[in-house]
Amino acid sequence: MQGTCPRCAHDIIEVLFTSPVVGVWEVRQCQQCLYCWRTSEPARRTERDAYPEGFRMTSDDITSAPEVPSVPAQRVIP
Amino acid sequence: MPYDDLRSFLATLDEQGQLLRVTDEVLPEPDVAAAANAVSRMGAAAPALYFDNITGFTSARIAMNVHGSWANHALALGLPKETGTEEQIQEFIRRWDRFPVPPRWRENPPWAQNSLTGSAVDIFQVLPLVRLNDGDGGFYIDKAAVVSRDPDDPENGGKQNVGVYRIQVKGKARLALQPVPMHDIAQHLRKAEERGEDLPVAITIGNDPVISIVAATPMRYDENEYELAGALRGAPAPIATAPLTGLPVPWGSEVVIEGVIEGRKREIEGPFGEFTGHYSGGRRLPVIRVDRISYRTDPVFEHLYLGMPWTEIDYLIAANTCVPLYRQLKADFPEVRAVNAIYTHGLVVIVSTASRYRGFARSVGMRVLSTPHGLGYAATVIVVDADVDPFNLPQVMWALSTKMNPAHDLITISSMPVMELAPQVDTPGVVDKLVIDATSPTHPHGHGNHSSQVRDLPEATQWLARLQKLAAHR
Ligand SMILES: [Zn+2]
Repeated sequence: MQGTCPRCAHDIIEVLFTSPVVGVWEVRQCQQCLYCWRTSEPARRTERDAYPEGFRMTSDDITSAPEVPSVPAQRVIP
Repeated sequence: MPYDDLRSFLATLDEQGQLLRVTDEVLPEPDVAAAANAVSRMGAAAPALYFDNITGFTSARIAMNVHGSWANHALALGLPKETGTEEQIQEFIRRWDRFPVPPRWRENPPWAQNSLTGSAVDIFQVLPLVRLNDGDGGFYIDKAAVVSRDPDDPENGGKQNVGVYRIQVKGKARLALQPVPMHDIAQHLRKAEERGEDLPVAITIGNDPVISIVAATPMRYDENEYELAGALRGAPAPIATAPLTGLPVPWGSEVVIEGVIEGRKREIEGPFGEFTGHYSGGRRLPVIRVDRISYRTDPVFEHLYLGMPWTEIDYLIAANTCVPLYRQLKADFPEVRAVNAIYTHGLVVIVSTASRYRGFARSVGMRVLSTPHGLGYAATVIVVDADVDPFNLPQVMWALSTKMNPAHDLITISSMPVMELAPQVDTPGVVDKLVIDATSPTHPHGHGNHSSQVRDLPEATQWLARLQKLAAHR
């Protein structure tokens, strides 16, 4: 579906779930930063313009994020 | 009478006036988290919350703040709700002496009533997920008990683990999990990844209240959490076999999610408002593929709000952090009197001890840093005399005010390990640690003027009892 991720401004957004009571809300997810939100949440969590600067994320933030825990070397099992 | 599931404990909380039912219709966000945030500001007798009328859901049930006060923590251990903090910790120490009490296998777990497998797996169909804090990357499961085995020694029950870890929901059948390197599951994952394998896990949600306590206890790697649960309950913990993974899981859970941590894979996760009262940044964490969900009909989603302390998590990891540290120190230093590690999961640890000779107190302080929990947490250790109660912060401040001289009494050790979430560090995972010796100097160290300390009058103890009696009958 079309739309903009509030957090990283990416435009590929998927619907993960729709409310059991039909038509009340949807849970959407950005396919770049994996941010999830419910459409009934306050604008500060759902709209790009209102999304706080401090919580925003760029594609660079995603690729350069630290790996925790780091992947160990593989060992040969006898 | 121990609780075998969450529902029986909720019934007791209700009877004891410790469960607040929110029956008005509320929004999933921000209401559920905001209410749980607010209830944690009600103090040491705050109630648990129960929501069953949430906008857009048809049968959602959410319990929050179940362990979120000293009153609720006492009831979880079967103690009167008025039991004081130190008394609860003393009782916890006494019951730990009964460890290990082997669990008991029990048939027909209630969570076997329903299941979703394969392509039908959809976590959103089972749990009414809600966001906690504004900056969280999504919906989290943060009070589950995660069960796993040591891949190199799968039959060893001691090395099996039941722990609480943060879990982000990333899809219908996709989760992220944070294994802090000091935690047992991180050792399991490392071994699996070294072997080039996935790590099977069972994630159990809505557990009896003692399971949550033991899962949040920093036990030794080879100690079994179910055997501690039995000791704390005074009866064996009932367990059952998870159908897909064969892992031992609590019999009384509301939901059992099974799958694998996919080996050698990391993916963006977070941020999440953590127990430190700060958000962790976005990091690349391991990913779980969910293959099966088993659940009780109309499951209760037990969830935990955490934010700026104190919140529920601070009660959940208070007594159970003090006690292993106390036991491990006491084993080497019988002079240790008490350990207070209730602040921010033991990032600060206060120890009271008698002293054998000069340097003894600081040796005790150094030992804290090398306990299994101290490795990842204790960043500041304050050591006080045996006549200072480490739970009485005015007394601790008195010791700092009058016995600590920075010229002699501060030991900093650089580049020590700490879990990545500690916000005060320059490099995540590395911190300089501080031991403060706030004890009176012991011969042959004579600095300061501590020979003429004022002591409580000998009659004061009797008077305390007399006054308390008077006050009670006012
Ligand atoms: Zn995004």
